Amino acid sequence: MTESETESQTKSFYSDKLKRAVHLLFFRRGKMPGAKEWELKEKVGKNYQQVLEQLNTLLAELDLEIKKVTEPSSGQMAENEGGIQMDEPRYYVTLKGSLGLKEAKMIGWRIDNLAALSGAIAYVVAKQGKAPREDVEKVVAQKYGRWKAATLVDIFLRSGYLEEDDAGVMALGWRTKAEVNLPALMTKMTEGRA
Amino acid sequence: MEEKTKTGRHSLAAGRKELKEVIDTCNAIERRKFNPFFLDVKLGVETLREFFPLWEEFQDNCLDAHALNRLSEVVRLQNTQLKFQSSALYAEPEFVAKKFQRMSEKRLAEVFLQSWHPTAELEQLTNETVSAGLDYWNLLLPIQERWKRRDYARGKNPEDADTNTLNGLGIHGQDFEARLNGLWKELMEAHKIENGPIDYWKFVKVLDHQETVQRAYIVSFLVTYGFAKMQLEGEQITLLPVEQPTNKPVEGGVSVPIAIPSEVQQ
Repeated sequence: MTESETESQTKSFYSDKLKRAVHLLFFRRGKMPGAKEWELKEKVGKNYQQVLEQLNTLLAELDLEIKKVTEPSSGQMAENEGGIQMDEPRYYVTLKGSLGLKEAKMIGWRIDNLAALSGAIAYVVAKQGKAPREDVEKVVAQKYGRWKAATLVDIFLRSGYLEEDDAGVMALGWRTKAEVNLPALMTKMTEGRA
Repeated sequence: MEEKTKTGRHSLAAGRKELKEVIDTCNAIERRKFNPFFLDVKLGVETLREFFPLWEEFQDNCLDAHALNRLSEVVRLQNTQLKFQSSALYAEPEFVAKKFQRMSEKRLAEVFLQSWHPTAELEQLTNETVSAGLDYWNLLLPIQERWKRRDYARGKNPEDADTNTLNGLGIHGQDFEARLNGLWKELMEAHKIENGPIDYWKFVKVLDHQETVQRAYIVSFLVTYGFAKMQLEGEQITLLPVEQPTNKPVEGGVSVPIAIPSEVQQ
């Protein structure tokens, strides 16, 4: 076998694996997008991390990146060293850069909803990742009134930015963990001008 | 935790009560009702130690173990709080709430957008969606049949309603919220007088038809958000105010279309 033949075989091998990784990461199969680590291992192979690195290079040109979310379960912020069971890592494809106001409107977000979401997430983070629903609604209601606050909090729950347990305690949802750069949000919230 | 005198405390009942108080406080802290440092853990442990010799029954020992477990959870939360305070995410919740109140909507949205990297995903067909689609097309009447049923009167095309439009219609903003509260209080007053369920039409109907429609519209909000209960008995519709509403959309609720004729009969 010549050197060029081996090279082309390697290329096609990676090309096939890249396609499989793209399918897993982009197409939603269950309630959440992205793929779990074991899925990638099973479908792409043991060298899935190399495949993801290669895919990441390709996606970077499209202003996308693969993000590995290994944050602990909801409400366990800053408790990593306490021996708490971590969630299995999940890989998502997210936007590398950020959107402008007009672009956000184009993909269906209202400015007031985004504003309320930033407040709700920042408040839950300030309460160490967990806050009673009534407290979150009170904060949002300061700006939007309690009727709209209840509706907005429901929207955030449905879209996965927040989650609520049986005791009515809210925590950060999977989408916040995957999509929001929390240190940047908190810095901008606390330093932000009016 | 407030200091208590130790005299007269050495009874089983007093001990159980104190332990339950400790457990309740710990649970409230775990649900983020209070700051973890609200509880003096040392005092809690001393309380446990004080009553420990009194326990004879298995249940009392279980209660003691449970209280100890809850106290250890509070210690863990205190540790977490200290770590959190030294992290980049730390901010006082009250400060964040005030900032949120003061910042403009546009600025808040910009702040969020700068730290937001939405996920990219594609929707695709699944067996279930294909099956649902096929069912839809199989049940759909031919276009000619559907056109026969259509009312050809064309109205204005739907448009987006901005905040000003909604305010103009009186269904948004502080005025609207004041009207909701007003009608809720009116319903509670009527309930006190009648001492029972209020007839829907009796409550909603006023002389002006437009006002009747608006009252019906607001009542639908009160029912949806758990401020009032609607009961249907045959053709009779009654309302019952809820004094301590959950302020959340009622789960498992059903939509009840109510036509409002131009002349409502009482």
